[in-house]
Amino acid sequence: MASPTDVTTAAAADDPDTGLRAIRALRDLADRLEVLQVSSARARGWSWQQIADALGVSRQAVHKKHATSRRDR
Amino acid sequence: MFERFTREARQVVVMAQAQARWLHAEQVEPVHLLLALTADPGRGGQALRATGADLGSVEAALARSNGALDADALAAIGIDLDQVRAAAESAFGPGALDRGGREPSGHLPFADGSKRALEESLRHVLRSKLRRRARVIDSGAVLAGLLAVGDPVVRRVLQQLGTDADRLRGQLGDASAA
Repeated sequence: MASPTDVTTAAAADDPDTGLRAIRALRDLADRLEVLQVSSARARGWSWQQIADALGVSRQAVHKKHATSRRDR
Repeated sequence: MFERFTREARQVVVMAQAQARWLHAEQVEPVHLLLALTADPGRGGQALRATGADLGSVEAALARSNGALDADALAAIGIDLDQVRAAAESAFGPGALDRGGREPSGHLPFADGSKRALEESLRHVLRSKLRRRARVIDSGAVLAGLLAVGDPVVRRVLQQLGTDADRLRGQLGDASAA
């Protein structure tokens, strides 16, 4: 695990390789968390519109991305 | 091509499918063949376990290196993946983050690397000096084929377990000599 000093160094390191790799990892992580949160919201009865509003995207976008099983349609 | 596969080797292919589905992968990757091989009772599984690569340790190594989630890169920008994983698991159950959450579907296609691994296992037995009728693909040949492909995830997992392709090939050689 990186110490706070490592983090500051990495963030300020101006190394595209480190920076771009971190962004890709962040996207992966965000995608996975999104899947978990969206299915949890659906299980609690949220509408696609409510989820879309919370994520700041269109209802079509969130539905297309996450409506995989028949009960979701 | 599966007519040359022994029952054990077929079982490895089936288990690799199951592993991929369980991990919510979109394709059967070479590392899923590796996972399936660790539980194989035959020559391939024996060679793996002899070098310390059993199902639990490969699963753990895979979760650590974790294909997509890049813990080191996240650490570099101040995100502790272990903490995020712990939080996700306390809310959504064990393995929630690593399963990715996709709906598992029926049949998963084999990734190119896995197809090549199976082709290499066939090539491996065709190269052997065995008599033609003895040239069947057992789980050892599947392991040899998998190693021949040199998939980066498989290599990383083996490396984490303190072994590598050469050592495993050595094990396979010993096993077939015995």
